[in-house]
Amino acid sequence: MKRELERIGIPDEHEARERTWPVVHAAFAVRQPVPQPSHWRWVAVVAVALAATLAATLSQPGRAVIDEIREVVGVDRAQPALFSLPTSGRLLVASDAGIWVVQEDGSKRLLGAYQEATWSPFGRFVAATLQNELAALELDGDVRWTLARPRVRYPRWMGTETDTRIAYVDRTGLRVVAGDGTRDRLLSRGGRGPLAWRPGEEFVLAFADQDGRVALVDADSERILWRTKPLGVVHDLEWSSDGRRLLARLGPSRENDVVIYTRGGLPFTRIRVPAGTVTATAARPGSHARAVAIREGDDSRLFVTDARGTLLAGPGVFQDLAWSPDGRWLLVGWPAADQWVFVRADGRGIRAVSNISEQFRSRSFPEVHGWVP
Amino acid sequence: MRVGRDERAQVRGAQRGSVSDLEALFRTHWPRAYRAAYLVTHDAAAAEDIAQESFLAAIRALDSFDRRRPFGPWLHRIVVNRAIDWSRARRLRSEVELVDSIPAPNPAAPTGGDTLAALARLSPEHRAVVVMRYALEFTPGEIAKALDLPRGTVNSRLRRGLDALSEEL
Repeated sequence: MKRELERIGIPDEHEARERTWPVVHAAFAVRQPVPQPSHWRWVAVVAVALAATLAATLSQPGRAVIDEIREVVGVDRAQPALFSLPTSGRLLVASDAGIWVVQEDGSKRLLGAYQEATWSPFGRFVAATLQNELAALELDGDVRWTLARPRVRYPRWMGTETDTRIAYVDRTGLRVVAGDGTRDRLLSRGGRGPLAWRPGEEFVLAFADQDGRVALVDADSERILWRTKPLGVVHDLEWSSDGRRLLARLGPSRENDVVIYTRGGLPFTRIRVPAGTVTATAARPGSHARAVAIREGDDSRLFVTDARGTLLAGPGVFQDLAWSPDGRWLLVGWPAADQWVFVRADGRGIRAVSNISEQFRSRSFPEVHGWVP
Repeated sequence: MRVGRDERAQVRGAQRGSVSDLEALFRTHWPRAYRAAYLVTHDAAAAEDIAQESFLAAIRALDSFDRRRPFGPWLHRIVVNRAIDWSRARRLRSEVELVDSIPAPNPAAPTGGDTLAALARLSPEHRAVVVMRYALEFTPGEIAKALDLPRGTVNSRLRRGLDALSEEL
């Protein structure tokens, strides 16, 4: 019998091992924080006592203290303005002023006073929301069509060259509309968001419902393919680029900060940070690797599951991780430093841009809603 | 089972945070973990998930691991129990219309397809003891301990499993 079992060819063993090692390594890195490599020394990270920051915010004279702190928190030698992106592509950014498109050369255009936005599948259009409106926009801000809907949120655009859908949530539930603004319909009365289309040719959508469960629905047949048990607050849903893994980032009260599901809805991996919280994740294009930002106490750190060591560390929260389309650069939003930090995934490069809020005419720190070719 | 000095040093290193020691353990034990998961589940994607999840579980429990014990059987026990759970869950899922979760058959028939097909016709519980005995080389006593079963049950499952396989083959 031993010989019979040994004769059985086991498919995909080598590939599965190479896919798994980065995940195991990442879990190990969370368990045992790896000290920052020496080549990151020039990343000037200064621990700032939270109490000092709070005290500084209490009075007008405190403003100067905050400004002093800001001068030393963040990446040293940051550019004062965004002169260019480190690699090709365009960004979609949401600030208090509205939705912006940022070109590769750093130039930017305000599309209008919209709140949330999503790129169309090939980056030719943008779908954006007002409180009671969903709109499809040209990249110069011209409006293609609008749809009046109550309390629109979570627009997500997906499809092929010839057939696209926009999923979104309004007061009635989860809805879907064709890319030309027609055939708007309710998909799930209990759908609340966040939402994530599964990459591929079918219109299959993961969403969180009003009971805190994550479900997968075929948007054309309206059939629910699977549904998880209640998970509590679901902050984010994101598919790997091959559509094989779905990541759900959960509220801080949950035992597992992140649960990764298989395509079939089975829990695949759970990530729990014992002394902290996962504040952001981003699936690296073309792989199962993920960038993960963790907050532990007053400090945060960032790592990528197929790279060794911590890529960035510092006070405050890292948010809005966004990969460049080629998967080589990662944009990290760092509100405490008012910086965008572009980190190369192999750890061999870093660029930072300061004064992000001011550049996007915003009092709150701008959010990145996508980086497309 | 005796623990080699190298493995003991690797476990100690991993407990202290050494990535290279963890990687050595991973690369040593991955093939058998994945193989065992595949032989119980007959599904490559599930085997990958199970083997990976088992390594993650092992990492979570690494601090409490007794270095005098061998690492492999400890890991394989996790793998086989998860593979049994997965196979049972698949049986249930097929009754609740989750077609998307049922894996498609592997496109290319692997070597040893007859044995694999015969193994697939056993229940997950019988499959698991056969795999543990003949692929992982556990003794019946070790299987009983790993699966929390009476030794007599292990022996009877082994006998029935082998009888069924010899009829098929």
